[in-house]
Amino acid sequence: MEFMDYFNTFIRSIFIENMIFAYFLGMCSYLAVSKNVKTAVGLGAAVIFVLTLTAPLNWLIKSAFLNEGSLEWISASLADVDLSFLSYIMYIAVIASAVQLVEMVVEKVSPALYGALGIFLPLIAVNCSILGGSLFMAQREYNLGETVAFSLGSGIGWFLAIVAIAAIREKIKYSDVPKPLRGLGITFIITGLMGIAFMSFSGIKL
Amino acid sequence: MLADRLKEKVSKALLDLAENIKPKVAKGKPFHFLHSFYDGNYTLMFQPGTTTKGKVHLRDGIDSKRTMFTVVIAMIPCLLFGMWNAGHQHFAPIIEIAERLISAISLDSLSQEVLWAKINALAAVDGGLADAMYEAGRRNLEGPELLSYIMPSIENIADAGFFSKFIYGAIRVLPIVVVSYVTGLGIEFAVAQMKGHPIAEGFLVSGMLIPLIMPVTIPLWMVVVATAFAVIIGKEIFGGTGMNILNVALTARVFIFFAYPTSISGDKVWIQDLVDGASGATALAQAFEGGVAGLSWSWFDMFIGSIPGSIGETSTLMILIGAAILIATGIGSWKIMLSVMLGAGVMGILLNIVGGMEGVENQFLAVPFYYHWVMGGLAFGAVYMATDPVTASQTEKGKWIYGFLIGFFAILVRVLNPAYPEGIMLAILFFNVFAPLIDHYIVEANIKRRLAYAKG
Repeated sequence: MEFMDYFNTFIRSIFIENMIFAYFLGMCSYLAVSKNVKTAVGLGAAVIFVLTLTAPLNWLIKSAFLNEGSLEWISASLADVDLSFLSYIMYIAVIASAVQLVEMVVEKVSPALYGALGIFLPLIAVNCSILGGSLFMAQREYNLGETVAFSLGSGIGWFLAIVAIAAIREKIKYSDVPKPLRGLGITFIITGLMGIAFMSFSGIKL
Repeated sequence: MLADRLKEKVSKALLDLAENIKPKVAKGKPFHFLHSFYDGNYTLMFQPGTTTKGKVHLRDGIDSKRTMFTVVIAMIPCLLFGMWNAGHQHFAPIIEIAERLISAISLDSLSQEVLWAKINALAAVDGGLADAMYEAGRRNLEGPELLSYIMPSIENIADAGFFSKFIYGAIRVLPIVVVSYVTGLGIEFAVAQMKGHPIAEGFLVSGMLIPLIMPVTIPLWMVVVATAFAVIIGKEIFGGTGMNILNVALTARVFIFFAYPTSISGDKVWIQDLVDGASGATALAQAFEGGVAGLSWSWFDMFIGSIPGSIGETSTLMILIGAAILIATGIGSWKIMLSVMLGAGVMGILLNIVGGMEGVENQFLAVPFYYHWVMGGLAFGAVYMATDPVTASQTEKGKWIYGFLIGFFAILVRVLNPAYPEGIMLAILFFNVFAPLIDHYIVEANIKRRLAYAKG
């Protein structure tokens, strides 16, 4: 039933432990780039890609270099070296280089999307949900298969959240929202209400 | 003839009254601040006499006020049944106790101590008996005299019929309706006044829906808080009626659900005043515990609706009458209603298959899918709340998808999530959130298809 375990992790990270609505991670680009569905889809896809790429990569680095005693495969004298204090900087370095890659690809393939995403594309590097993915992976001691399922699921969950709110924001564009709440204010409130809707899944045991 | 003349008289009198008040709320007059209140009531009673000035003259007799009223009328069967059922749920267990007590008294089979303990327990849940005891105490009656004095009240309980149940229920239910309307309309009026807009009609429906999805035991202050939250945060800050993204009534319920969970879920909230031994668990709670075998009611009982549950949601029969009204007047979308039921059925069948596999312990999985249609609030949500034209999908194809997913997820959450037995509420909210996205892609697909067609 190993496959079912992976599948459960995958579903759980989309709906039950959604990056946005359960942990409120990655809010800045979620709020800033959700003005229309098209760019939201672009950014969402970029986040899925980066998250699914970096978390397993970080898993490999963590288990090959950073865990206590994991350097033993290089030489027996390194058996008691613990490099886990380097984990943050390593994770960030991996994420930053993955984002560079995405940026180059997007610029080449779709200059329009590149223009629409603007500064938020390189900023994926500091998107909390990406680093969060790697840190959750480390904290929960996932194995490689779980890490892949988890990071793909988290990415899709984030994608769903930003696309849904982008559609809602397009819909309320012409609503008579009270002046002080226009823009970010109402977006925060919508996010809260969406969080309530997502709470229907919390508590499901898979 | 007489009725016609009376109708004419009354409407003439009302119209005169309205015409009298009109100048007093005109601009610049001292009561001008009440003008939107006046407008709201005037247009509620009469079709406005003004016509459009421009060239477009496509007008229907139905405006949003009449639309809302039709929905309210469609909810009346549920409300009336809910009143009776609230009384029925109160009386059903204690009728039996009163009957046993009467036969025990006539046979003299109980010791005085036990007898009075039982009578006191009964008095604790029945106002009529309590009053009689109090009155007897005031007159210093004791022993057999006291017994013969309160005997009619006990017999009264044992004889409780349709009307006693209905009146008891009405006394419990009507305050919730009044409180919900007063709170919600109060906020609507205040906001309309502040913005200088005419009063929007949106709360007519929500104000009736909110009581119908509450348990009859809900404290009234909670109804006030939840209604205020739903109207302000759920609707007014989005710009009022027609702009909200989540169904207002469901927002009120979900607010109580997460803020005061013990008041709206759990197996003891539906019937206050429980006497020893009577169970107040809802059908969903029972099915969750023991599958079909654990249910105290047959499928037909649940269809008729004489079971514990929120005020308006129990009777699938009454909901069908309401659905017929909504569909006949073209106000509720039959596509959404049908597809919610379809989605629930499909999910139910899938779960039945899983539940039929070896080694599966969860008995709720094996509950036949047609039970899901009549349990809990599925039918009510499908007919009155999923069809809310503001928060549902706007496109025709989208309505099928939207409804189907609601039904599908409602049963999924209901069966698999032990924390929230009532899946329909959260499923509708969840797809309220995704309805704009569904519409977006349907519209995109339409544009693409027509572009391709235009290019030939």
